[in-house]
This record gives sequence, C-alpha cells and structure tokens, in this order.
Amino acid sequence: MSLFSELRRRNVLRVALLYVIAALLLMWIVRRAVSGNWVPVWAIEFMLLLLAIGFPVALIFAWVYEITPQGLKKGVDVDQTQSIVYKTGQKLNAAVAVLAVLGVAALVGERLLPEFELVRPEPVEEIPLRPVYDSSELAGVPKEITSYNMANGMRIIVWPDHDIPNVVLYNFVRAGGRNEYPGITGLSHFFEHMMFSGTTTHKPGEFDRIMETAGAANNAYTTNDLTVYQDWFPRAALETVMELEGDRLQNLAIDPDVVDSERGVIYSERRLRVDNDNEGRLYEQMLATAFVAHPYQFPVIGWPSDIEGWTQGDLESYFKTYYAPNNCTLVLSGAVSPEEIFLLAERYFAPIPAQPEPPPVRTVEPPQLGERRIFIDVEAQAPLLHLAFHAGRAADPETRHMGLLLDILAGGNSSRLHRLLVEEEEIAVSVGAFQMEGFDPGLVYFYLTLPPGADIALVEARVLEELTRVAVAGVTRAELQKAKNIVLADFWRSLATIEGKAAALGRYAVFTGNYENLFSAPEEISAATAEQLQAVASAVFRRENMTVGVLGSGDDALDVEQ
Amino acid sequence: MTFRCAAGLALSLLSLVSGVDAFEVTLPAHERIVLDNGAVLILSEQHDVPLIGLEAVVHGGAVTDPDGLNGMASLLAELIQHGAGQRDAAAFADAFESVGARLRASAELEALRISADFMARDAELMIELVADMLQRPTLDEQEMIKLQTRSINLIKAAKGGDPGELLPDYGNAFLFGAHPYGNPVSGSEETLAAISHEQLLSYYGDFFGGDRLIVSVVGDFNMEAMKERLTAAFGAWRPAGAELPELWAASRITGRRVLLIDKPGATQTYFWIGNIGVAIDYPNRASLDLANTVFGGRFTSMLNKELRVEAGLTYGARALLQRLSRPGAVVISSFTETARTIEVVEMALDVLGRLRRSGVDDDAALSARNYIMGQFPPRLETAAQRARQFAMLEQYGLDASYINDYGAMLEATSVESITAAIDDVYPTPENVSFILIGDAASIREAVAELGPLTEMSIDEPRFRP
Repeated sequence: MSLFSELRRRNVLRVALLYVIAALLLMWIVRRAVSGNWVPVWAIEFMLLLLAIGFPVALIFAWVYEITPQGLKKGVDVDQTQSIVYKTGQKLNAAVAVLAVLGVAALVGERLLPEFELVRPEPVEEIPLRPVYDSSELAGVPKEITSYNMANGMRIIVWPDHDIPNVVLYNFVRAGGRNEYPGITGLSHFFEHMMFSGTTTHKPGEFDRIMETAGAANNAYTTNDLTVYQDWFPRAALETVMELEGDRLQNLAIDPDVVDSERGVIYSERRLRVDNDNEGRLYEQMLATAFVAHPYQFPVIGWPSDIEGWTQGDLESYFKTYYAPNNCTLVLSGAVSPEEIFLLAERYFAPIPAQPEPPPVRTVEPPQLGERRIFIDVEAQAPLLHLAFHAGRAADPETRHMGLLLDILAGGNSSRLHRLLVEEEEIAVSVGAFQMEGFDPGLVYFYLTLPPGADIALVEARVLEELTRVAVAGVTRAELQKAKNIVLADFWRSLATIEGKAAALGRYAVFTGNYENLFSAPEEISAATAEQLQAVASAVFRRENMTVGVLGSGDDALDVEQ
Repeated sequence: MTFRCAAGLALSLLSLVSGVDAFEVTLPAHERIVLDNGAVLILSEQHDVPLIGLEAVVHGGAVTDPDGLNGMASLLAELIQHGAGQRDAAAFADAFESVGARLRASAELEALRISADFMARDAELMIELVADMLQRPTLDEQEMIKLQTRSINLIKAAKGGDPGELLPDYGNAFLFGAHPYGNPVSGSEETLAAISHEQLLSYYGDFFGGDRLIVSVVGDFNMEAMKERLTAAFGAWRPAGAELPELWAASRITGRRVLLIDKPGATQTYFWIGNIGVAIDYPNRASLDLANTVFGGRFTSMLNKELRVEAGLTYGARALLQRLSRPGAVVISSFTETARTIEVVEMALDVLGRLRRSGVDDDAALSARNYIMGQFPPRLETAAQRARQFAMLEQYGLDASYINDYGAMLEATSVESITAAIDDVYPTPENVSFILIGDAASIREAVAELGPLTEMSIDEPRFRP
C-alpha cells in the first residue's frame, strides 16, 4: 500500500486541509480584533506561531490516532475491519465545507461592506447620501461651479477644472486687522502663524510635515479684513489636506512654548517688512494717521508692545470667536468633483460646532476735516512720497470706477502720472497706485519714489494738479477704453489658472456676499462711463480728505514746508 | 496615534502611490523651426482660452556687459521699450497697454528676455512690437540718459528698502570675483553712470542679431499662419556683429572670506553663505533637487525648521541653487535680529555640516519627491508659462526630455545618488563666502571671527568691494 493511500485512509490529508482553512479563518478573526483595538498587534504574530507549531502536531496526531466508537485509540491498536475512518472522513469533509463557506462569507462580507468595521464608528448615518447643493441659475455663471452651505454655517464653493491634476484650496476666515483693538493689534496675523503650530491630535510641525509628504504646499496671509489659508496640492492629497484643515479648525492647541517661539518669528517679520524697509515704515504711519477711529489704523503685523503682550486668554477667545465654521468660506478649484468635496467636508468639518456671530465692527471712520501730514526723518538716498484719500468699500459700485481711474492715472508707462512725473518732467523715479478693497471704506493710495534731492513739494503739487484735473475735466474716451481693456484682460488672465479661480471666487463671495457677482464683473467694467469715473474722482480727490506722508532726511523736510 | 490617524495615514500613503503614478507632466506638442538667419522658432497651439504667451530670448545678457559697464544689457532692455519702429516712447507704451497686453523686456545674466502675454486677437500688433523692439529700436540718446538716471536712482531707493533684495548682487560679485557671473545684472550706480550712448549703440550692434534669437509662442493661434507671420517678422534680421564670448567655469573658493556691508541702524542682519555649485545640465539634477528641497527648499526644510520653526530666530531660511550654463552659486540665505547674528549664522553652518555628514534619509527623500512632483504641474499651466519653458530649454540646448523624463528621474533617485549630489554641490562649512548686510558697529567684531573680513558701506556706488 502506498504512503499516499495510507495518508488518505487515515484522513491525514483531510485533517491538513481542515487545519489550513480553520487557521485562515482564525487569522482573519484575529486581524479584525487587532484593527478593532480589542487585542494588541502582537496577537497576530503569536497566533501565526501557534498555528505553525500546531500543524505538524495535528498531522502526526491524525496519523497515529484513530477515532473509534470506544474513543481515541492508536491506529495500530485498531482492528481494521472495525475501523470507522471512512465515516470520520465524511465528518471531516463536512467540517471543511462548513469552514470554507464561513471563510468565503467573511471575505465577501469584508469586500462588500468596507464600513463593516467594528473599528470606526463613523457617523455614517449622519451623512446625507446626496448633499443638497446648488449651481447658479444665472446666465454667464459656469454651471460646473457648485456651492454648499453646511449645517454649522460653513460655506463651500467648488470650481472643478481638470486641466492639470492639481487642486487649490483657500479658506477665507473673516478675521483681520479690523477686528482688533488696542492691546491685541496683530493678533489676527499671529493666529495665521499659530494655525500651523500643532493641534491636540498633531504635534507642532506635523501639519506641515504630513502636508509636504503628501506633495502639498501651503501658506497664508492676513490683511486688514481677512486671514486666508492656502493649500496647493496634487489631487491624490485631497483627503489628507481636508483632514488637516478640519483638524486645525477643530483641535488647535495654543501651546505657550510655541506662542513664545512664534513671537520671535513675528518680530523678525516685522523687522523685515516694516522696520528695515522704508516703504513699510511709511505705509504703517500713513494708515495710523489717515484713520483716527476705524481699526484700519492698526498695522496688520501689530504694534511691538502688543506683540509682546498678548495673553493666553486673548488667543483662546479670539480663536473661538473667529475660527468658527460660520465665519469661514472654503473655496476649492481644480481636479475635484463637488460630490467628493461635500462628502469630505461632512466628514472633516461638520463636527466643528458653530459659534455666535463675531461682534460687528461698529466704528465708522468719521469724515476727515482737513489734510494731515507726516514726515519720517531718516537717512534715505531716495525720498518717498505717499498720498492717501478716504474712499469706498469693496462692494461699492464706485470702487469699480476707481479701479479703472487708477489704471488711467498710474497703471503703466502710458498712464498720466507716469508720463508726466517720470518721463516728461523726470521729477519722480516711479509712481504707483492701489485702493484698499475691504468690508469697510478704505483708502485710495498713491506711492512715489523720488530721486535724491528731489523737490518734494513740487512733486506733490503736480500730483494734486493731475488729480484735480481728472476731477474737473474727466477722462478721454480712449483712456477709458484702454483702462477697460487692461482690467478685462487681467480679469480673464486671472481665471486661466486654478489658483486665480479660487482666489477670485472667494474674494467675491466674501466681499460681495455672493460668488456669482464675479461673473457680472466684465459687464460692469464694460458699462462704466467717463461720467462715473469723474464723479468718483471729484468725490475722493479733495484736500481735506487727504493724508500726505514723506520719508526722507531732514533737508527734505524743509522742502515740504516751503 | 489613534486608529483614525493611522488609517488616514495609510489611506494617504496609498493615494500617494497613485499620485506618483499620475505624474505625467509632459511638454505639449510643438514645432521647432530654424530660420535661414539662425533664429529658432518654437510654436505650440493651445486653444482653451483666447490668450497667447510669447517669449523672445536673445543669447548674451549681463555676462556680455563690457568691462566696467555693468548694467549695459539691462539698460538696453529698458531702452528698447522706450521707442521702436515708428513709435516713440509714449506711443509704444500706449500701443500695448491700450489692448490690455503685457509686454516687458529685461536682462538676465545669460540673456535678454522679452515676455508678452496678450489676447489672441492682438497677435499681429504684438509681434510687430516685439520685432520692432529687437530690430528697429530708436535708441534715442535723451531717452537713454533719462533711463540711466532712473536706473541709478532705483538702486539708491532699493538701498533703503528690504536689504535682502540686494544680497544676490553683493553676493555674486564677491563670490565670482572677475568672472562674468559676478556682474550685477542691473549694474551699479558707478557702472551705469559710465555708459555712453556710443558704447550702447555698438553693444547693440555687436550682441543683438537673428543668430542669437529664440522666439517661443504658445496659445490660441493657427500653426501655419503663425509660422508665416514669425518668419516674416524675424527671418530677415541681420546676425550679431561680434562673437559671443566663451564662458568658463568659475573655480570654487577654498577657505573662508567675509564681506560686511554696513547699513547703520539696521535692526536686522541679512546674510548669504555660499560657494560655487554646478551648471544647469548637471546629470544628477533630480537628486540635487531632492537634496535642496530637504535642505532649504520648503517650509519643513532643515534650515527653516531649525532657524525659524524651532528657534523662532528668523522669519525664514532657505537654500538656493543658481542654474546657468556654467556652474552657478549655491547659497544659504536668511536674516535675524542684529544681536543674534553670529548665533544664527553658526546655526546655518551647523545645518550645512549635518547635510554634508548625514545626507538625506529615505523618509525625507520620499517626502521631497512627492513634494516636487505635486508642485510641478502648476508650473506649466498657462500658455505664457509654457512659452517660457520652451524658450529656456532652447536657450540651454536642452531637449524635451529635460521635462518629460523628470518624473522618472526623480523615481530613480536613491539615498546614494542624493548623497553623491550633496558631495558634488554643497560646500563644507570651512569653504564658504559670507555676505552680511547689517549694522557694522554692532556686529563687526563677531563677524570678523568667521574669517578674513572685507567691509564696505551700503552707500558706496558699487556692489564689488
């Protein structure tokens, strides 16, 4: 009789098969138990070892012993005519079949029901299967843009664009310099730094480490109106980024050690942007002078004494008030679908509780009653001249007109002020202009760099003449058309990238209350008239509405007074 | 770590794997044509938006500035925007600004570059303007004198601005010495003032011409019509009058040397520590990119982590690699409050020493690889970016594989190849050039400990000591 037949007769092969199937099933159960944190991880290795030792033992046992009606006996002691190995074999077959069916059921169950984890009691039932979200009904607004209001008040806007396999995420937090008061100036900006500095679930440094490991870059900036968080990442990093963004809104840790170290970083940033940069120095003093009541007077980076003085309490209450989901607008643009964003948002942002609306900024800057002047006396080879006028808010229609007007006045080499001051009279080295576009009325701002020994009073007089001229005589049709072409081309250029799309959607959503307004911009720009530009010029360019600042050495001061 | 994080991490690791597979930045289809006069055209159609990006590059740049006349190429770049063809300075500015186009000429170390970005409907006008700037600039003497004065005053103004902006000019001048890579691109107050109209005209004749030209156009146009238009616009341009001087590789400095630029009253010291590295065609470039990303190329880099995140002593610290036809600078750059200057400089040197000794481990390499790959696609998103990329490749004699094979090269890097790049490129802390801009009275003594000290004032009208 061959060995093989004897192995079969003694059911050794069946026992081996049964053992293997039972072992696989057992390992599956142990793995589930480990992932459910019911038993420690080493249980897997322990069980493997046990099963490996048990295998030869079981086989030897099956070879040596037989089951008889009288119980277990050594095979050699059994009268082979009375042997019931055949019946035992059938029982073993049945056991193999049952275990195999169980095993298949477990595997199928695991595949089909990935959420059948005893592991992660995710509030699956709370996720609406089809989130309620909207595309715009308005003509001219791309239908692929979708927005969604979460139950906790967070607003999410998604603009899918699959040109490149990347995504841009912007989180606009309505907290900036305007929400501060003496004692906590610079706190919004400080928070911008603290938001990268660890949570109760991620140690300091982890946020950036995980993000960069996933291929993502990030940054943030703070203005007088907003703190804006930005992530740029490959599509594959989407969930990681959403999780990290949700985590820092929900679980920010304000660790006193990190606070102290970041104070040092902020000081260095202040020295960089303000103290060691003449433009920065003058700009800070200009805002502090032009506004006497409204908090736009505070430097976004903060006054040094406040940078030193923030308390843990200030930080905690500021975070609770302003970093609430109902104070945030999340904008994503790039290789994503709205459905996946809304599902991820429900997973990572929904648990963050809403807070009461932040207190309104009540102070309105009173009308300026007469021109204001400042002079900063420092050794500077090239003096600086800045002029600022109170003007409107981002959402005012006049702000659009002022934007066009500033292009005509200082927008490029063909602009009026550049041509006059830099090219023809050569009394300035460069001239530029911008307007603050925020929630509250801001400034229209001109900044000029002058040659050494410049006649500053003359330059100022020339600028004022030009501003008066445009208020009295308006702009030409050609100038208006040029300004429209520049603004429109810049508008379309900005929407050529996913970065530009996210920035523009967010800006319109935040400052005008609705992202759809972005798409009426071209029409509004085209519709602007020369009369409207003249009207905004005469409303704004008035001496009593003006602040003038000069940075230069003492000799230049005499010049100004003449 | 809770299970949720572990699961999240596992998930993101999985998605990273797929992210790596998805790295497919390839240059779009394009045509390269060499005209009879040697000018090279590169064209690529891209019709998603009605915009066109155009990049015109003339080989040469600040390395061809005549001796003692640094800023020549830069001044010429300004001047060709101030009158060309039938248009005077005002009409020229008006022509492109009226249609909302962007047009800018500037000098770089190895080229003069014109970048234009405009609506497709304005292609004819814009090509005419670019062709006029290159072939028919007015080069009016009065305009030149005006721009010369303005350029000098802009440098004076910059000396009152962020000193970090000036570090590369002082740094390259000190590091490269007499090598042309030490030329300050915009010139200095002294050298700009020395340029005469006659010298400028002869420079234009010698260093500008069709044989030096690359024109790269990407965007919403018809290939055949654009080919014809560009050939008509640039095909008849004469060749340049003089040979391009052959550049040599500058030798690395050995030992240390220190240049202190005194800015009295500065509350912060701005510093630059460097030596000479490698050229743009360095074969192990993917490993070098990884090394530099880990060392000083992102927020969690070794330098930024140590100096900013952990010590809170600066707003930022980074490492920069200059990629040119011959070996360029490799540099650490940061700043800190005056009183902590030496402490922070020594910290930066420690980090450099650690990079040289310990290299980059597997985790850091993987992370940097993902980071580089993840951040790459937005660099080639618009027509203007692509036009610039094509022109850059042509300028340095590189082919499309420089971009198309980059993902595979990054994949193929190893700890060993990265270590080799570090050994090739980064100096040891004992062999570096230091440039510091700050309040000399407060830091002179401590700075002198770093090595042999040279000192100058920020008010001196030059960048070379």
